Formats: sequence, C-alpha cells, structure tokens
Amino acid sequence: MKAEIIVVAMMICLVPLSNAFPQDNKTIEGEVGVTGVWIDVHGKEGGKAKFTEYRDLREDGAVFGWARLNLDTDKYFLNFDAGDFAYDTQYYKVNGGMWGKFKFDLFYDEIPHNITFDARTPFIGAGHDLLIGAPNPNFPAWNTFDHSILRHQYGGGFKVDVIRPFFLDVSFERENRDGIKPIGAAETSPGGRAFELPEPVEYVTNNLKVAAGYAKNPIFLSLNYIYSDFNNSNTALSLPPNFNITNEPHALSLPPDNTYQKGAFKGAVSLPFNSRFSTNMGFSRGRSETSIVSLISSGYTGKVDTLNYDFALTSNPVRFLDAKVYYKYYKRDNKSDDPTGVANIFLNYRISTYGADLGLRLPESFYLSGGYKYVKTERNKRGESDPAEILPFNMDNIFFVDLKWSGFDFLDARVGYEKLDRDAHYRTLDSALNSAKRFFYAAQNKDTVKAAVDLFPLENLNFGLEYRYKKIGYSDTLFGLRNTLFGLRSDKRHEFNISADYMIGKIAKVYGYGDYGWIKFKQEQTAGTVPWEGDQWDKTWGYGIGAEVYIIPKKLTLVFQHDYLKSNGSVDFTADPTVLPPGLFVAANGLGPGSGANNDNIDIGRWDDYALYSFRIRAVYSFTKSIAAMIGYAYERFWYSDAQLNNYIFAPTGPPASNAAFLTGAYKDQSYKAHLIFGGMSYKF
Amino acid sequence: MGKRLLIFLSVLFIFLLVSIAHNIVRGDSEFVGSEVCKDCHEAQYNKFTGSIHGKKAIPGNPANREGCESCHGPGAQHVEKGGGRGVAIFAFSKKESSTIRDSKCLACHEDMRGVENWNLSKHKSFLVTCHNCHSIHSPVQKKDLLKSPEPDLCFGCHRNIRAQFNKQSHHPVKEAFVGRQALKCSSCHNPMGTFDIKTMIKADSVNELCYKCHAEKRGPFAFEHMPVPENCLNCHEVHGSNHSRLLTRRVPLLCQSCHNSTGHPSRPYTNLHSFSGSATQNKNRFFGRSCLNCHGNIHGSSLSEFFVR
Repeated sequence: MKAEIIVVAMMICLVPLSNAFPQDNKTIEGEVGVTGVWIDVHGKEGGKAKFTEYRDLREDGAVFGWARLNLDTDKYFLNFDAGDFAYDTQYYKVNGGMWGKFKFDLFYDEIPHNITFDARTPFIGAGHDLLIGAPNPNFPAWNTFDHSILRHQYGGGFKVDVIRPFFLDVSFERENRDGIKPIGAAETSPGGRAFELPEPVEYVTNNLKVAAGYAKNPIFLSLNYIYSDFNNSNTALSLPPNFNITNEPHALSLPPDNTYQKGAFKGAVSLPFNSRFSTNMGFSRGRSETSIVSLISSGYTGKVDTLNYDFALTSNPVRFLDAKVYYKYYKRDNKSDDPTGVANIFLNYRISTYGADLGLRLPESFYLSGGYKYVKTERNKRGESDPAEILPFNMDNIFFVDLKWSGFDFLDARVGYEKLDRDAHYRTLDSALNSAKRFFYAAQNKDTVKAAVDLFPLENLNFGLEYRYKKIGYSDTLFGLRNTLFGLRSDKRHEFNISADYMIGKIAKVYGYGDYGWIKFKQEQTAGTVPWEGDQWDKTWGYGIGAEVYIIPKKLTLVFQHDYLKSNGSVDFTADPTVLPPGLFVAANGLGPGSGANNDNIDIGRWDDYALYSFRIRAVYSFTKSIAAMIGYAYERFWYSDAQLNNYIFAPTGPPASNAAFLTGAYKDQSYKAHLIFGGMSYKF
Repeated sequence: MGKRLLIFLSVLFIFLLVSIAHNIVRGDSEFVGSEVCKDCHEAQYNKFTGSIHGKKAIPGNPANREGCESCHGPGAQHVEKGGGRGVAIFAFSKKESSTIRDSKCLACHEDMRGVENWNLSKHKSFLVTCHNCHSIHSPVQKKDLLKSPEPDLCFGCHRNIRAQFNKQSHHPVKEAFVGRQALKCSSCHNPMGTFDIKTMIKADSVNELCYKCHAEKRGPFAFEHMPVPENCLNCHEVHGSNHSRLLTRRVPLLCQSCHNSTGHPSRPYTNLHSFSGSATQNKNRFFGRSCLNCHGNIHGSSLSEFFVR
C-alpha cells in the first residue's frame, strides 16, 4: 500500500511541474468533471455482483470524478489523466518527457472482478489460509463473504530517445490482487464429499522489462529482458481437522510462488527488392517452489525452460507481388523435480512451423493471396512408461486462400477459405489402439470459410456484412479405417455479423449492428456402462442501435443507445438404446434407480441461457465552449437461467452421503434489473 | 522434415542472394516548402504543425525535413497545375496501392519499436494500410493518432470479435463507465505485426501471453494438467463466451471432451442430475460448478494428481 501511495503522490506532484516549462509555444488544455449516479438494482447476491462485475457500483449512489491535463511545448510534454477517485476502478496516469530526448510514464490502476456477493461457507476463516469448523447442512447459519477480487496495478517506465539510433526502454509494474474466489476440493477421489471453499487471493506480481537496441534503417536490433516474480501470501489453505483426508498435509494447495525470466533478441534488416529479413529468438526459465507437496518431503522445485527461434523473409519486389517465407521453432522443457510415481505428468513439446504466403495484385482490382503452413508438434510426457499413454506427434498441413476485390470506391468484398488437415502419428501400437485420444491432439479436419462486404454507398454511410463458417471434425485413422472414438467429435459454427453507421448531415449520427452465432458441439462417451451422445448448442443473437442527435448544433446533443443479446444453450442427450432401452436406466448408469430416465426427458434445456437488455439515453448541453452539463438514464436487465445453478442448494446431501456437497453459492442467481440516473458537469480549459 | 527444411533454407538463401545483388535508386523532384502548401491547405497545415509530426525537437521528423512534402511528395507540379485532389501529388487515396501508401509512413517508422515487424503483419497481407487506423490530420485520439479509440477502432473491421466481447463472460475490454478502460486490444495484440503472423499476439506462445496477467497459472506445478501448459485455448475462449470463466464449453461436457473411463468421468450428467432433477445420485458431478466442485486446482496442483487438493 505504501508503494501505491508513493506512485500516486509522485504523479500528482508532477503536474504542478508544468509551470516550470519554458513558455515557447506552450499549449495547456485539460478537463475536469464529475458525474453522480443514482443506482437501483434488483437482484439477488449473484445478480448484484454480475451487475457490477468489472465496475464499482455496489452502493445506491456514487460520484465519479475525472481530470485530464495536457501540456505541450516545442520541447516538452506532460499529460495527466485520472478518474473514478476513491473507487475500485480509480486510475491515475502521467506521462511526459522531452520531445526526441526521453519519455516517462507512471500509472496506478484498479479494477475489480465481482463474482458473487454474500456467498456462504460452513467454515470460519474465509479470506484466510486456515479454515476451521465443521461442515453442516444448516446453510442459513453459515458465514458470508464475497467472491470478489480487486486488482491494483502500478508502475512506470522510461524510454530514452536521445541516444538514437540506439534506444533504451525500461518499465516496471507491480500488481496486487486481493480477494476471494471459489475453489473446489474433495476428500478423496474418486468419490467423497465435495467442498467448494473460499480461496484466499493475496497475490503480488512484479514485472521488470528492459529493452535496448539499435534502430535505424535498414537495421533493427533489440535485446529484451523480462523478469517476473509471483508471490502468493498463502501457499496452502489449511482444512478443518474433520475434513476426511488420509494423506498429509491436511490442506488444499494454492498457486506456488514462481519466477519467470526471459531473454530475447529481435532483429530485422531491410533488403533490396522491398525485402526484409526478420528474426526473433528467446529463451525463458520459469521456476516455482513450494514445501506443500505430498510426495516429496523436502519440497518441490519446478523448472520449465522454453526456447524459440523464428526467421522470416518478406518481399514486395514488384508492385503486384507480396511474398513471405518463415520458419518458427518453439520448445518447452519441463525439468522439474520428479516426484516418485508421477513423472509422467510433465509435458514437454517441440513445435516446428514453416510456411510461405503469396499475394498477387491482379487486374480489375482483385487481390489474391494464399499460403501454406506446416506445423509439427512433438509431445512427450517425461518418464512415461505406459506404451498406451505415449503421446502422438501432430503434423498439420494448413492451406489458405483469400480473394479481395475493391473495384469500386464504394465497395470492398472478400472471400476466404482455410483448410487444416491434422494427422496424429501414434508412436506405439498401444497408443494407436488406446481409445483415449484427446481432441487437442487427435487427428482433425478443419474448414473455415469467410466472406465479408464493406459498402460505402454514400460519403457518410458505411455498411458492413460478414459471415464465417467453421467446421472441425475430430477423428483418428486406425489401419486406414475411421475409428469411432469418445469425447469431442465435432465443432461446427456459423457467425453472421452486420454493422452500419450513417452521418445525416450535421443533424445526427446513427449506427447499429446485428450478430448471430450458432455453435454445435458433438461428443460421445463409450467407456461407461451407458454409451451416450450429446449435442451441445449455443445460439446467440443480438443487436444494437444508437444515435447522436445534435438538436442544437454545438449546444445540445442527445445520445441514445440500446443493446440486446440473447443466448440459448441446450444439450440433446441420446443414450444408446441397443445397450439399454429407453426408460430402463438403472443405477449403474449414474442416473439413479427409479428416476424414470429416458431419451425424452434427460435433455438439458437451460444451459447458460441469458438475455442482456440495456438502454441508455443522455443529453449533453454545452453552456459555453468550456462548460457542459449532462443528464441521463440507463436501464439494464440481465436474465440468466441454467440447469446447473437453478434452484440452488447449498448443501445437497446425496444419497449416498459420500456424495454430499457443501457449496458457497458461486455464480448462483445472476439475474438482475437496474435503473441508473446520472448527471454531471465538466469544465474544459 | 529434414528434406523440407533443406528446401526451405535453400529458397531462403537464393532469395537473399538475389535481393542483395539488386538495388533500387529513386530520383528526387522539386519541393516547394510547407508555407506554399499553407496557402491552400491552412487547416491541414495548422493541424500538422500542432501535431507530433510538427515537432522540430524530434530528429528526422517531417518538420525537420520537407514538411508536408515529406509525406505527400514534391509539390512543384501540383502547384503548377493549379492543385486539385491527387493532381501531381500523393494524396493517400484508395487509388494508390496500399504498399505505396504504407511506404510513406514506413520511410520513417519502419525502424520504430513495435513497427519493425509490419512486414509480417496480417493486416499488411489483407491490404490494411496505416491510414485505415491512423489519421495524421484529424485523429480522434491524440495518442498514436488513432482515428477512434480502442476497441471501437478494431471492432470496425473485426465484427465477430465485437460480438464475442458482448457475450456474458468476457475480458474487461469494453468496460468504460466514465472513460475508463482496463484492457485494450493492443494489450495482447500488436496490430503492426509479430512473429505470430495470424493472431499478432505480443508473445511467443499463447500461454506466455496469458501468464502476463495470470501469473498464478504459470507454475510449474508438481502435478500438471496436460492441456494447460500446452495451450490455454484448449479450454478457454479469448474474447468472450456464453459460459463463465470464458470456457469454450460448459463443464462437465468440457471435461468429458477428453476424459472417459469407467466410473463417474464417463457417465451422462443430464437434466435429471440438476438441483431440481429426480436423479439424486452422483449429483456432485453436475450441479454448481460440476467437476470443479471437487477438481478445483484444475490448472495444476502441488498435492493431487487428480487436482482435488
């Protein structure tokens, strides 16, 4: 906190320095303003938090102030920008310097992330690293707390220009994160009671960046160094003694302290034929330490190295040709301690990429571009001994082609297609036969089609239309045959977006947009007692319209905005009737005896369904060129419904009792309705 | 692999060789000076002199060179012909190719930090020019001379990304109650190009980018969840999602995209397993936060290979 106060104080002290600047062509301009807001929110704990998710509008009223000062002379400049004083969204920024000599900046910034207010826990100690008490189902008597995190970021930097063509940039920032977020824990796995707990968040991250180099055409050279260290005040969340854990320690591990360093070299050289050769090389080392490790009595030290080197050559040798060839290499090496028996969890991989792009300017204002990229991903789990779990290598062949036409001044049109063909090379017969082929390394075919039109039929009218289609099919070839696997099988999407804006003389500006998105995931499971398929849909559509009406030009402006967004999610389950006829699901299925489950009543109809409606209107009146007043009204409504969160129960008891759970209420009841009346004044100078 | 690499390196070598052997010589023409331009274009002249490009303290600035003609080219013929838009002058109109328009800016800015990889930029490949985003004479945002502030500037073309940010779970990019903006598109992307040619992210890998703000996920953890260190995007969307925590799909189906084994990972968790459903058994694998009710340390753990502690 001391450091934060020092940074803010330094920034405020710098502002009066503006008077010390020489008087040559001095320009000072600025603005101060204040806005008062009256807020009326209707909603439960989750809704109130959702309403103010990234804002600080928790009270019934708020007064937000802001100030901006810009000073500019032939030699110096100084800018100060601040706002939301004393709120969780407050920010202070100062930057300045001598033109052509140096620049500096200082900043302080806050932003909250509110998840759920008045969450509950049967334990005492929310927000601390020690929970005490016994779980009990009497949730009205539980302790309350907020699932909410506040980020404070502050720091500064300077850039030295006076040594041009050499340069030196140094910046430092610190981020403090404080609050509580939900985290789940289980007594045993598989099975056992589930506990959603308040995880204390007290993180401090320091980041230092240094870049130095030489930049003068035709050469650019830069050496970069990053040092980052993350410190967590709580390395573990100690659990109550009655938490039924057989292995010590009696705790839930929290993110370990870690450090990260990276050194990099970036270079580029301009060549004849409008060509340029670029390179980028880097080496990083991440380390972590924690003493809370069950399998290593002396603690654990994590170490991960990455190495990358990239080269590219681009050229525009003649007007109608753009060409690019590149090669990239990225390697991750996990050199961490090897806890006995768990070595195979450490993932190493190497990714090699090379490709070439070509762009051709064709007659009649056509531009054709296309390219090919080959990506090879080689994964291995360190110490893996089970031949069935040996991870495959992926070979991606990616082709793309785009055609753009700008034959008229009032129209741009573009179509594009991209094809990804991923091959999975299983290195052992056991791994090829293993049905556990995760979608992110399984073979896949991806087709992406894009089409867009931008129209400018009138000087002040812009109109844009865009469509995208993407289809990913996950499959694996076994002895030349397409094999049915489990898990994610396909991902299909349609996106349609439209936007327009029109300036009606000096009277008004109107604008609007419309969006439609359709996503379908298909997945299946074959390993359990009941093979099943699930088709998951997300259908989202929305629109927005707005206008700025200059009722009295330069005096009175009316601003109006309305947005609407609705999402409808669902899952259509189908259990294999050849294994179990519909209506005869039994306990072994996981559906429960006597549940009456069948293919007609197991589907999920509410799956993150929501509708967001907002309406805002404000009038701005300028008394003079300097003084303006504003008054407005806003209405927001968020309706949310979801099968996993509707009719929330804090302490479901099972049966059996081993399946009991103790939940905090995270993400429950997110619906809200809010009215906001606001007004303010501003003064420009 | 070795053969392909050899071919690639051979092409690279031949190209470099030919490039070095070639040079382009450009001729100069007559300049008239900015004061002459001012006679007809006073408003533009005043904006130019008041802008960063008009600062004489900055070495190499247009103000220290040919003024207006540093960018628009020699104006003698333009004056002789009595002026007019694009008449014997470079007017940055759509009729000029994007490469030539950009070259006017890159003549000074190509060696500027952050612009050094413009040649790799996807924007350049799609013929987006400097002037699509920047305005020299009438910027709405003085910093970087942007035509409009982020993210609106980016959303003007990237309509699908705007739609994603409108979704209920999103990074706080469009949050601005009283002029405040926490995160910008340019916090993660460099529109001037990076070695991540397609997405232009400011890092050498997706995870490296995410860890800049989410350092607690960085580990290394004693127990790694395999998809995590490979790519955050295996489970998360970047810009916005209908599902909380920017998840690509809802848990448990997200987890069941990969996990299948006898027992609870493979069972169908349906409407009947909700708080109001009739099948009470195994409830704690569906309701609330589902799998995450138990497997909370899903990004990595110091204690549990099942991420339950």
